[in-house]
Amino acid sequence: MKIGIISFAHMHAAGYASALMQIEGVELVGIADPVAERGQKYAAQFGTSYFQSYEDLLAQGLDGVVVTSENAYHKEHVLAAAKAGVHVLCEKPLSTNVKDAQAMIEACRAHGVLLQTAFPVRFNSSVRRAKQLVDEGKLGRILAMKGTNRGRNPGGWFVEPSLSGGGAVIDHTVHVADIMRWMTGAEVKEVYAEVDHLIAETPIDDCGMLSLEFDNGVFATLDCSWSRNKTYPVWGDVTLEIIGSAGTLTLNAINQKLNVYRDEQGYSHHFWGDDMDLALVRDFVSSIASGASEASVTGEDGLQALAVAVAAYRSDERKDTVSMTDVLA
Amino acid sequence: MLHVLVIGAGTMGSVHAEAYKNMPGVKLVGIADLQADKAALLAAHCECRAFTSYDQALGQLGSEHIDVIDICLPTPLHKSYVLRAADDGKDVICEKPLAGSLADARLMIDYCKQKGVRLFVGQVLRFFPEYQNAKALLDRGAIGSPAVIRAARGGSYPVGWNDWYSDTSASGGVIVDALIHDFDYLRWCFGEVERVFAKSLHGRVQAQLDYALVTLRFQSGVIAHIEGTWAHEGFFMQLEMAGTSGVIDYDSSKDTPLIMRDRGQRPGSRAGVPVPESPLEPSPYARELAHFVSCIQDGSEPLVTAEDAWEALRISLAALESARTGRPVTLNDAARSTSG
Repeated sequence: MKIGIISFAHMHAAGYASALMQIEGVELVGIADPVAERGQKYAAQFGTSYFQSYEDLLAQGLDGVVVTSENAYHKEHVLAAAKAGVHVLCEKPLSTNVKDAQAMIEACRAHGVLLQTAFPVRFNSSVRRAKQLVDEGKLGRILAMKGTNRGRNPGGWFVEPSLSGGGAVIDHTVHVADIMRWMTGAEVKEVYAEVDHLIAETPIDDCGMLSLEFDNGVFATLDCSWSRNKTYPVWGDVTLEIIGSAGTLTLNAINQKLNVYRDEQGYSHHFWGDDMDLALVRDFVSSIASGASEASVTGEDGLQALAVAVAAYRSDERKDTVSMTDVLA
Repeated sequence: MLHVLVIGAGTMGSVHAEAYKNMPGVKLVGIADLQADKAALLAAHCECRAFTSYDQALGQLGSEHIDVIDICLPTPLHKSYVLRAADDGKDVICEKPLAGSLADARLMIDYCKQKGVRLFVGQVLRFFPEYQNAKALLDRGAIGSPAVIRAARGGSYPVGWNDWYSDTSASGGVIVDALIHDFDYLRWCFGEVERVFAKSLHGRVQAQLDYALVTLRFQSGVIAHIEGTWAHEGFFMQLEMAGTSGVIDYDSSKDTPLIMRDRGQRPGSRAGVPVPESPLEPSPYARELAHFVSCIQDGSEPLVTAEDAWEALRISLAALESARTGRPVTLNDAARSTSG
């Protein structure tokens, strides 16, 4: 199976590339990147070809492509892949706005290619186990949830809204919003958010606190802030507390760690759990191989999660709740 | 020597009585509770007299032999006892929340002022050394400028007299009864609150569970998230302050010096439940009460005033309103200045 990668702008690209190298029967055909230095460096590192233009890469008879460009370029790259008949794994957030995301979904459907949103957290072993416990009814009925996906400010294009679509809210809302939708099987109905720029020097939203109302009566909050400082022992977190009628569940997806104390670097966490990027890419590859009609995590999933972030920005502007139907209209 | 009468022999009454028992300059003169056996048991332990009512205590002890009335009753009873104590010219220490409504709380504060008695409210979190130290670090600039704050408090559903906690109109549920601690503490750290948004289980489930998630936006810009739960086991409290250059976090269930686990082999013992403790001498409650006592003795202003308690109640009730209406509630300064 022939897979390509469009752009190493997003740091997750390296993780996906090394995952592709580990999967038997998969050939990483090439890396396209408008930044020649970056593209050549990673092409050399992963022993594959470099392409200046993504059109040239897409012309190599690919089965699938991973899109890890800046958020604002997702649409252009996904539409080109769809047109070339290549299945797509697109980095989150699916897009910078609802309209583009809808166009991407439509194009992939029209050209009969899979559009999978890269939500690796769905493939985290602890998250999957939590989902299993929920599905087995161990918690009874889900009543409420409390999630966090904090991190460090990544800087670079992530803090340039013309490329990223926004800061912490668009970057970090989507993972846990997706997990909450997955756990409950319900859609977000209404969003309230307090959003601000309180930490970074660059003017970008780096603090976000969302409150969500689901269409089945479940409520939740989600902290998506880039509030981890430089010396915090880990990059961030992915946590979810679930309050059920029969019990509670506390999920801390990256808490499989060693505590490491070094004279030079100080205290840090060393993660030893399963590689969720590998599981994600394996899933994408197997969907292609089996000729699946839908990806396991779809473009629609990506759109719904993105719409929650968009609603959060709108809520903060209005200082009031925002209905998801208005955002998705 | 200050003579203190404790009203209520429940959980908080016991904690207060125990604190007075060992407090220099204070004499615990009695404990009054409708439930004679509870009053008697606690009084015996604290070596003071037991009474079945406030009136009986005043009658038998002689009003002139009582200086302070400490009210540890369910919230709906606070008002009538505070007013009676003020009528009798006694300084008052009242457990939180001061009242169930802002109007009642205002009336109680004004009434005590009119009668020339002091009124102290047990917003005890300001006396917990972990919370005091977090504020001191914050004030010292340890995390730079504060940005996102997370606090949490709770455990299992509280058991009280006549199951009064489960009557939300009486207790205010977890938002008023428990989170009022965090609201007061956060206001102490970050100043006045501009906007409140909250969601809670109240009205959504019939089961004896309460769970609330509250977002506060401060005038300073700080964003705070507060979780209140009566849907877990045991008890825990958490605090995290993230600022421009650092993070402080605390979790009572993890940052604890002592955990006892019972194997359940002794008669009457229960297996498997770890009981964490954080021994402090004196306890935060004793520190709080000793502080109030010293304020009575020297006429000084307390670390937490009745007005602070009113403000904390205002935030709590705004959270309840937001949870009920599904909309954010803005706290205006006008209400604050005309009330003070």
